Amino acid sequence: MTYNFGMRYVRAEDRPPNGDTPPGGHVDPAPMLGVWFATDKQSAGVVKLELAERDGAFVVRAFGSGTPDPLDWGEVPAVAYAKSVVSGEGMAVSAAYDFGFLESLLAAYTKGGILVLDTFNTFKDGSGRSAYFSREFFHR
Amino acid sequence: MSSRLSDRPRDRAEPIDPAPLLGEWTNYDVASRNIASLTVEQRGGEVILRVCGVPNVDWGETTAFPFALTVAGGEAVAFKAAYDFGFLRVAILAYLNKRLLVVDAYSTFHDDSGRSSYFVRDHFYLR
Repeated sequence: MTYNFGMRYVRAEDRPPNGDTPPGGHVDPAPMLGVWFATDKQSAGVVKLELAERDGAFVVRAFGSGTPDPLDWGEVPAVAYAKSVVSGEGMAVSAAYDFGFLESLLAAYTKGGILVLDTFNTFKDGSGRSAYFSREFFHR
Repeated sequence: MSSRLSDRPRDRAEPIDPAPLLGEWTNYDVASRNIASLTVEQRGGEVILRVCGVPNVDWGETTAFPFALTVAGGEAVAFKAAYDFGFLRVAILAYLNKRLLVVDAYSTFHDDSGRSSYFVRDHFYLR
């Protein structure tokens, strides 16, 4: 399944180009930190995302649409991703929420000042609701 | 219960139909260093994903989980799947956009190579 040429890999992208030395494995989430607001003010999905570092840990706090106020989902650990194996600059993030009745996987990337969020939502409560996908856009 | 307005049911949910996802998908970008092609098939009630990494590395099969556009179900518009290679874990998150399959790979290394977790996206057409 995997090859071994000094480093194991499953595709060319896993190998540092030109013999570059990997930066050590830490991806700095700093470029993504801040409060992100949904571009669609009528969104029925996630309306706000807070990306922060707390005691050295990268965390996400999401807010779902609700009336009269947005629903605070609380803070969960997040993983920062760079654009390559030799970059240390964060440009994407993933995080998972488990509400008991519902699991939501959040996966987002930043590009040109916009954050694009995909959510993969699976119900566990026997309500008969279908698993569903959403795609939403955010600005700071 | 709901975490946002879109969680609230409007109609009785239909089962998710994975048909729009099924088939052999080829990367538009022949210079991609990521995924060359992937196959999605339905087998015994499950949706199975098989990925071929560049250059010609068979990742094997894993279960893919389809998603509809709303809680009402119907045709699948996206799927998620995961590979665990031991030294590397890859989350495959994909969605359809006008018959184009957009595939995001979120990769994290679990060895001592010092490689960064990374994100990569590619676009695929149905062969």
